[in-house]
Amino acid sequence: MPYDDLRSFLGTLEKEGQLLRISDEVLPEPDLAAAANATGRIGENAPALFFDNVKGFTDAQIAMNVHGSWANHALALGLPKNTPVKEQVEEFARRWDAFPVAPERREDAPWRENTQEGEDVDLFSVLPLFRLNDGDGGFYLDKAAVVSRDPEDPENFGKQNVGIYRIEALGANRLAIQPVPVHDVAIHLNKAEEVGEDLPIAITLGNDPVMAIVAGMPMAYDQSEFEMAGALRGAPAPIATAPLTGFDVPWGSEVVIEGVIESRKRQIEGPFGEFTGHYSGGRRMPVVRIDRISYRTNPVFESLYLGMPWTECDYLVGPNTCVPLLKQLREAFPEVQAVNAMYTHGLMVIISTKKRYGGFAKAVGMRAMTTPHGLGYVAQVIVVDEDVDPFNLPQVMWAMSAKVNPKEDVVIIPNLSVLELAPASEPAGITSKMIIDATTPVAPDVRGNFSTPAKDLPETAEWAKRLQDMIAARH
Amino acid sequence: MNSKLVDGAECPRCPADTITHLATSPVPGVWDVLQCTHCLYTWRTSEPDRRTRRDAYPEAFKLTDADIENAIEVPAVPPLRV
Repeated sequence: MPYDDLRSFLGTLEKEGQLLRISDEVLPEPDLAAAANATGRIGENAPALFFDNVKGFTDAQIAMNVHGSWANHALALGLPKNTPVKEQVEEFARRWDAFPVAPERREDAPWRENTQEGEDVDLFSVLPLFRLNDGDGGFYLDKAAVVSRDPEDPENFGKQNVGIYRIEALGANRLAIQPVPVHDVAIHLNKAEEVGEDLPIAITLGNDPVMAIVAGMPMAYDQSEFEMAGALRGAPAPIATAPLTGFDVPWGSEVVIEGVIESRKRQIEGPFGEFTGHYSGGRRMPVVRIDRISYRTNPVFESLYLGMPWTECDYLVGPNTCVPLLKQLREAFPEVQAVNAMYTHGLMVIISTKKRYGGFAKAVGMRAMTTPHGLGYVAQVIVVDEDVDPFNLPQVMWAMSAKVNPKEDVVIIPNLSVLELAPASEPAGITSKMIIDATTPVAPDVRGNFSTPAKDLPETAEWAKRLQDMIAARH
Repeated sequence: MNSKLVDGAECPRCPADTITHLATSPVPGVWDVLQCTHCLYTWRTSEPDRRTRRDAYPEAFKLTDADIENAIEVPAVPPLRV
């Protein structure tokens, strides 16, 4: 049963023992962020957190770490909470094949209950904003799904984008936004700024759990996130029409903020403790004027802690980064078995593949770097054999330690593109990239002594399933 | 919203003393949210000293005028299409 809004998902998390209500009074800073930071340090099945007693606020409700564990990610997709990660990724990839699933338009969205417009707009009166990391320049909306349209093709539903971008609160009706140049909203903004026009946007907060997954997913420019949400939900995604922009937005959002990115303007923004585990530094970023806020009564403010991995951000964008790379690689190389792009949004990727002939694995690694996402990420690729599970890091380390001859199997390519946030890039946006070929050489590549590998016993896979089922039945 | 300058306030991050008031706590008197008009640093008065006091603010996060003026544009403003 898919979730149409955040609240129904929070109910399931609570029923499944995956939501922790914190009713003691907490400080907005540093408690909210520190508690969410701690979820990443207490094990990979940590719960979501729900705060409703924050000092100085009267009726604030704050949800954090909603996607921040493998159990929560599985539940977001409607899977049993103990589903192994590799199976979650495989199921995700299987549902992808149903794309596109047309959305269902609904009226009477709950966020129509309250409105602020024009001079009355005051973001601080609607949301309990707070700081995450010590060095952050301010308070952020970091899990909102931002909707924008291609100014040159505004009626094209596929080119309408829904993406998560970091957004800093700069005032009652002012925001700063980070459109990383490789992302779709940056393409929309570029087209608007080339002709000196503002870019209208709708910022939707507190969405159903699949909406957050697709908004953080590196899809193709003309693929609709709403149609992908339908595929992943197994049912059409409910959408509604935003009153000011006329954009399509999630029906179930807690808050819908509408306004414009002001053309050709930049203002100091940040730093922000980013998904890279480093601060971004202060840069001059585009600014947003808020013209209208629509919101549910007592909206739930959903936020996400990110900093040194792993944090909720890594669980949220882990599987949804693996699947596009897996699909795009298989288009060229059907030999590809699995892709683990869960490390820092795919700055490092592990690929398992069969080989056609000697040298093939390195070609697979190079293709990963030239996929749309790879152009901005994928700085390091480890390629392993088809019998190595790229999600099983001890197996990957075995392949690295046993199969790599550094002189021939480590390939470094200078001066390739990467997103500017990559801390190791120099100058920002440029990096060398590396392929480590940890596959067994095949003819005509005859290096090494690999003729007698030890394999799992033929009965082992069956026993693994049997033991997993016994463990699951115990809970 | 009160956008008046706050007397006697100092930005923890840059040397500016032009601080405005962005928000106040819904429960009166608990905290205020302030902002530096120069570097746009925003803070709540109830935050720890390391985020609110110039003398306790970490050197690594301090901003100078040069830092602000020389900050790169992301994304760059494109040329106007004629």
